[in-house]
Amino acid sequence: MRHVPQPESRRGPRRPAASHGAPPIHKPHWKWLIVSYFFLGGLSGGSYVVATVAELFGHTDDRDTVRIGRYLALLALVPCPVLLILDLGRPERFLNMLRVVKLRSPMSLGTWGLVAYGGVAALSAAAQAGVDGLLGGPARGLRSAPRRLIGALGAPLGFFIGGYTGVLLGATAVPIWAKNARLLGPLFLSSALAVSCAAISLVLALLPGRREDALARLRRAETAASACELAAIAAIHLNSGSIGRPLASGRLGRLRLAGSVGLGILCPLALHALGSALGLPRRLVAVVASLASLVGGFTLKYAVVMAGHASADDPAATFEYAGGQPPAPVR
Amino acid sequence: MTPGPKRLGFLTDATLCIGCKACEVACKQWNQLPMDGLELTANSYDNTKDLGASTWRHVAFVERFDGARPSFDQPPFQSGWLMLSDVCKHCVRAGCMEACPTGAIIRTEFDTVVIQQDVCNGCGYCVPACPFGVPDLSMFDGKAHKCTLCYDRLTDGLEPACAKSCPTDSIQFGEVPRLMERARNRIEELRRLGVSGARIYGDDELGGTGGIGGLNAFFVLTDEPEVYNLPANPKLPQDETLPGLLSTLGAAVLLGVGLIFSFRKR
Repeated sequence: MRHVPQPESRRGPRRPAASHGAPPIHKPHWKWLIVSYFFLGGLSGGSYVVATVAELFGHTDDRDTVRIGRYLALLALVPCPVLLILDLGRPERFLNMLRVVKLRSPMSLGTWGLVAYGGVAALSAAAQAGVDGLLGGPARGLRSAPRRLIGALGAPLGFFIGGYTGVLLGATAVPIWAKNARLLGPLFLSSALAVSCAAISLVLALLPGRREDALARLRRAETAASACELAAIAAIHLNSGSIGRPLASGRLGRLRLAGSVGLGILCPLALHALGSALGLPRRLVAVVASLASLVGGFTLKYAVVMAGHASADDPAATFEYAGGQPPAPVR
Repeated sequence: MTPGPKRLGFLTDATLCIGCKACEVACKQWNQLPMDGLELTANSYDNTKDLGASTWRHVAFVERFDGARPSFDQPPFQSGWLMLSDVCKHCVRAGCMEACPTGAIIRTEFDTVVIQQDVCNGCGYCVPACPFGVPDLSMFDGKAHKCTLCYDRLTDGLEPACAKSCPTDSIQFGEVPRLMERARNRIEELRRLGVSGARIYGDDELGGTGGIGGLNAFFVLTDEPEVYNLPANPKLPQDETLPGLLSTLGAAVLLGVGLIFSFRKR
């Protein structure tokens, strides 16, 4: 008989094999569709927030940042419902998500949040299109919509879309997610804002014209978000203990970590530092750093989802997370 | 039996299970569940391995093997093999039900937890939300499935198929308070017989249910729950929803201030 790895016990190191080591919980089926949604939803919500802050607090030369942010928020959002619906076992029943509101189910909250956010993101993008003279006929009236007010009201929804996905993963029985339920939301949100700054910078750097100041402000914002992201990653590693193994161990684990931290956070910082030291063309540096940041942001979400799969398949992790006092013998 | 404000459930006594799998077969027949294939685990008499979309009763075969060499002098009772017919616990606070975004998962008039098949859209969130790994998505219809405690039989006054078919009464069906009393008596009896490890798994008063608040389908075990592949202290996943949202709100405030400082006029 194959000897199955045993959960550690307080009462002794050796335990009888738990029925041939089958995982005591089920892992979710979520793969590329959901990872892509996590990335694009974060990009959309983050772009909306960045555009709003740039509109309310920025300079006159941040106008293109606002414009790109508004369009990007809508463009990144459009594939999201498609990805989510395709992931359902019964896609034709997607409207059943709108039967009920359940405040303790992050997926229900997220569904309603996405509906509301979709409305404001479309409205803001339409108002921007009106200002940019892209709309004709009666739709042109949208250019006089209160854009700053809509942006201010929509920004909390943008934050929500950027962060709720982490809460959704945390509210499961998957040990590595559940153990970090209070850190995954902040992690996903800061990653969302970092990739949004990177995506807006990328478009800005590819457009003609001098935009050094606007790019510098976006870079500052991205650095702030990346610092939060790094802090959240560090906190998760400290908080997870042995449950955190799938995030960092194994060749794939190391690759994911190197991708999300190395490529997503450290590489852009290093590129900007090196770029100014060596006098490289700023626009080129901005483009390469933004691409690295975007790939890193995607890798992070992939890493967190796949670590959950590995964690759910590890009986020792479940027994450690859901350990504690076993049922007391009667009387 | 008439529908009413009753708490119905199972008492599954592992000390009486002989591993015949009549419950698995009766469940599949009554609920018209597809077969799981002809896979063998090759290290156990267990061929269904796990609870899943098409296995709502799973007889776990736990071979106790605690050394390099097999021992020939084994205790006369609950010796080398432990057997347990695992099933949906019909939790008092059900993680699957709280996770379900469509409201497909409901609590019935029998205090059981049932997935309405005409509502479920196969989002799969209940699957990782169950701390016991019970519901799963079917590859045939894309929807989530699990034990219904034979809801259709209950409405007709019949006991669930597994309990009906169990030849040793290892699976007992009835009102939860009565079953619990029976379980406590059984524990006392087992202790008198010298089974010091006998315990109830799934009684809120005795602990072991964590944040679940009690299990309507509970178990009499003779060893620690992990031995039977059950978590000792399962938590209700949705107890982390509000703290998670609040910490995300905190991060949003912090990041918002950081953004404002990055963009503000100087």
